[in-house]
Amino acid sequence: MRPFSYRAPATLAEAVAALADGGPGARPLAGGTSLYDLMKLGVEAPSAVVDIGRLPELAGFDTAGPEELVFGAGASMADVAEDAVLRADYPALAESLAKAASPQVRNMATVGGNLLQRTRCGYFRGGPAFDCAKRRPGSGCAARGGLDRGHAVLGTSDACTAAYPGDWAVALLAFDARLDLYGPRGARTIALADLHRGPADAPHEEHTLGAGELVVRIRVPTAPAGRGSVYHKVRDRESFAFALASAAVALTLDERGRVAHCRVALGGVATRPWRAEAAERAVVGGPLTEEAAVRAGEAAFADARPGAHNAFKVRLGARVVARALRTAAERAAGRAVA
Amino acid sequence: MSAPTGRGSDARSGPGGAPVPRIDAYEKVTGATRYAADRTPPGLAHAALAVATVGRGRVARVETAAARAVAGVLLVVTRFEEHELRPAGYRLSGGYGFQSLQPLLDDRIAYRGQPIALVVAETPVAAAEAAALVEARYEAAPAVAVTLDAAGAETVGQAAALPQPMFADLAMGDADAAFARSPVRLDAEYDIGAQHQVPMELLGTVVEWRGDDLVVHECTQNSGAVRHGLARQLGIAPARVRVVSPQVGGGFGQKTWLQSHVGPLAVAARRLGRPVKLVVDRTQTFHGSTFRPASRHRLRLGADRSGLLTALVHETRQQTSRHDLFASDFTSVTARLYGIGDFRGHQRLTRTDVQTPGFMRAPFEHAAVFALESAVDEIACATGHDPVALRLANDTGSDPVTGRPFSSRHLAACLRRGAELFGWAARTPRPGSMRAADGTLVGWGVAAGAYRASAGPAVARLRLAADGRIAVEVSGHEMGQGLRTAIARTVALDLGISAGGVRVGVGDTGEVPQHLTAGSWGTATALPAVHAALRRLRSCLGAPDEGPLDTVAAAAERAAAGRPEAVVEAVSLPPGQSARAVDRLRAGLPTPAGPEYPGFSAFSFIAHFVEVRVEPAIGRVRVPRVVSVVDCGRVASPVTAAGQIRGGVVWGIGAALRERGEPEPRHGGFHHADLAEYLVPVNADVGRVDVDFVDVPDPLVNPLGVKGCGEVALVGVAPAIANAIHHATGRRHRALPIRVEDVLAPEDDRNGNCP
Repeated sequence: MRPFSYRAPATLAEAVAALADGGPGARPLAGGTSLYDLMKLGVEAPSAVVDIGRLPELAGFDTAGPEELVFGAGASMADVAEDAVLRADYPALAESLAKAASPQVRNMATVGGNLLQRTRCGYFRGGPAFDCAKRRPGSGCAARGGLDRGHAVLGTSDACTAAYPGDWAVALLAFDARLDLYGPRGARTIALADLHRGPADAPHEEHTLGAGELVVRIRVPTAPAGRGSVYHKVRDRESFAFALASAAVALTLDERGRVAHCRVALGGVATRPWRAEAAERAVVGGPLTEEAAVRAGEAAFADARPGAHNAFKVRLGARVVARALRTAAERAAGRAVA
Repeated sequence: MSAPTGRGSDARSGPGGAPVPRIDAYEKVTGATRYAADRTPPGLAHAALAVATVGRGRVARVETAAARAVAGVLLVVTRFEEHELRPAGYRLSGGYGFQSLQPLLDDRIAYRGQPIALVVAETPVAAAEAAALVEARYEAAPAVAVTLDAAGAETVGQAAALPQPMFADLAMGDADAAFARSPVRLDAEYDIGAQHQVPMELLGTVVEWRGDDLVVHECTQNSGAVRHGLARQLGIAPARVRVVSPQVGGGFGQKTWLQSHVGPLAVAARRLGRPVKLVVDRTQTFHGSTFRPASRHRLRLGADRSGLLTALVHETRQQTSRHDLFASDFTSVTARLYGIGDFRGHQRLTRTDVQTPGFMRAPFEHAAVFALESAVDEIACATGHDPVALRLANDTGSDPVTGRPFSSRHLAACLRRGAELFGWAARTPRPGSMRAADGTLVGWGVAAGAYRASAGPAVARLRLAADGRIAVEVSGHEMGQGLRTAIARTVALDLGISAGGVRVGVGDTGEVPQHLTAGSWGTATALPAVHAALRRLRSCLGAPDEGPLDTVAAAAERAAAGRPEAVVEAVSLPPGQSARAVDRLRAGLPTPAGPEYPGFSAFSFIAHFVEVRVEPAIGRVRVPRVVSVVDCGRVASPVTAAGQIRGGVVWGIGAALRERGEPEPRHGGFHHADLAEYLVPVNADVGRVDVDFVDVPDPLVNPLGVKGCGEVALVGVAPAIANAIHHATGRRHRALPIRVEDVLAPEDDRNGNCP
């Protein structure tokens, strides 16, 4: 562990000021489930840690409003996952949280911090022995030609193929979620879809937040597609594992059973939460038959670029999409919620 | 997980006696148990290791200035002098180390993760920070070989490289000719990936010099080896080293020999004049001790049309390190699981750039029996026989290797009772023919297992305290398997007292001699010594040889007569061993006897029945229930034995479906070296596990009739799961672990519907 300063400001404004004071080495601390881990690995070595875990502006969440669901960035994953409204009316959101990590981690981790969880690439986490452009810009990528079973097949670049590991952001992407931010230049709101960056030639730039800028709350417009939603996740064990492939689907059916609205987002297979518009186009306007679901799954991976050990993710991911579409359609039709 | 089924010894009273709960359970669940690293003597300093980041080569220069500048750093050592630290020697060459290589004695880097510096500081945080600041320049070798197939890996025949009878290739009859004329033949190759033991308790050591004497608190299954190995390393008499290991938080074979960091720690403590503690962090344990090496098995199994097995050729290749030959013994079990008269084994070792691998629960039997029991299942399918019936038809009463009888062999009873408890009769044989209500494919699989019933010499000391309580000190270690409970129950049943009145001490070289507790021989080794000491105690007290004994009255009587507390000591030897074995015990060297004893062979047996649910479309396999029936002789401690079996089943689920030590082929070492990425099963992976015991005493191995159960528990779980997957999907899996991508239905099978 390297020495760092620690401050626990009482208000959001003070926190943002403290982060600005701390300079580029400052990091916000909420649940600590990711930051502490990366500090122990030496991947993160902050000079200043600003504890935002008790800020009143980030606390709580409200799923009762008529217009939108509002999640304080500091709400715990466990609390939100157990919310009765979310489980009934937006199962994809509740499932994405409940299927993440372990109960212990969900008790500590926050829904804001979780959005920016960093990749599990073993070369990224493995320290200085390995080239990693995420850790050391321009140093190359040890995963290329290496052990990349868990890596992305969509949105990769020559500089990085590391998969975005989270579930919650993938589910939020299926609901047009927006983020209220607050930083040294004041407040602004962005679409969740604009939060994460693909790796391109600068994989160390993972998000679009400004220096010292914090996610304050997540807002999800209420949507009828909530009930017709699912988060389907395939992983190496039944709990406490990252997605090999996951899909969030939210859809509505018209009175004749045709897909009226559909959103598909993918996890575990892409470098960032990944919207699969081709899959959406493949099903909108028709009944969600098995054939349509399979076609949509394949469309979602038409541009996949597998590495040395993750070609199976193309086949797996397509089937995960297909199954998620069918489950979502059943839920939308009010049948058999799995 | 379910409780053990009502049948079997859990519910039985009578001669076996009532079950005794784990005597250290309360301390464990309340956190009161003290492990080695919980010790904090006054003045304690803390150590950390810096490790090599290249997979092979030489370290040209180690830069320690930044580390030394960290506040609180007391010592940074990159090289010890030969006179202060000698190698402990490799255990197969009469030494005590898990490997011959002693880091920090020269500039050679044999594997990634090898220590290049030892840092000692006032706090663990300062030590870790300083260790992270140690930087080295390397002359790295151009390539590393960490897999069986790597260019540069060197394969040798084991028998030629290790010309001792115990490493020789087994052969009976003419297996190749018998195979060639068998009407049903299977020729298949099986791959088992590397695995790590990952016990919850990290490797932890506290060393304290008291004058010229060294006291070591170490989590070890072999305090004798730590004592004698350290004495050799430091050039002092073994009597001056006391090693204390009363509770190990899981060993599974990782803690069987002297670890490479303990000697350096003792030297550092002597230089500083302070006690020093090291807890090896989780990532470093993947390279800091042994692991289960990768192995490959080619099996040629012949049968006649009736399903009778006629020939077996078992050729193996096992990974070892560049610097040591970790000998394998895959064929001892495959030559004996069934009555196959014509058998030929050939074992080879492949040198790779890793730390020396070693024992991990059922070290050879898990892999060997995965291969054999998968192959037997294929023969059952090929000949159209029920897999249970085929196994029963190939049972044998005598050891095919020696021709002599087994001391006891109740494999058929295990299979029959398991089939009944599982409901095997309802199985439809055709793959893919059983489905659950939700449409998932159901598969039922079976496999048998066996593990040698070994035992060694042991010393037990019994003391009758003034208050009538009994204190026992025994050669043996408690790794969570329940040895202390088995000992307390044995004493309690013998004397007719409560197990709570028995205090059991193990793992302390300051009391009685200690050697390795492993190989499922712990109970069968310690209990006969306790049994013999009980006879001595009774004789010393003038009590009859059996029947209840009022220890409180006996103690009071002695006190009234002005006599000291009664202390007796007894030594036990397994059948066929001489007093020379006791000399080896006193030198900290293991001397397990078995499986061949004069006149008989001895094994424990098991049958596992597994149900899987498979969704081939997404590669998902679940294991909702397992039934395991065990023949381990008399069950010495029903509660802890059932726990051992359930734990073995969980291990088998991990081995079959989850765990893989992932070698990094370009950089060396193991990738994914933490518990988030090295996937042991979680609770959600484990369904109902029912355990039952045959519980018939073995008449020959020891007076108590007990055989081991901790290792046999794992043997056969993985093939039972693989066979169940085949029954569900029609697809064979010959490599472990079986992962999502392996089960995932092929491209042309979009819906994952299998034949």
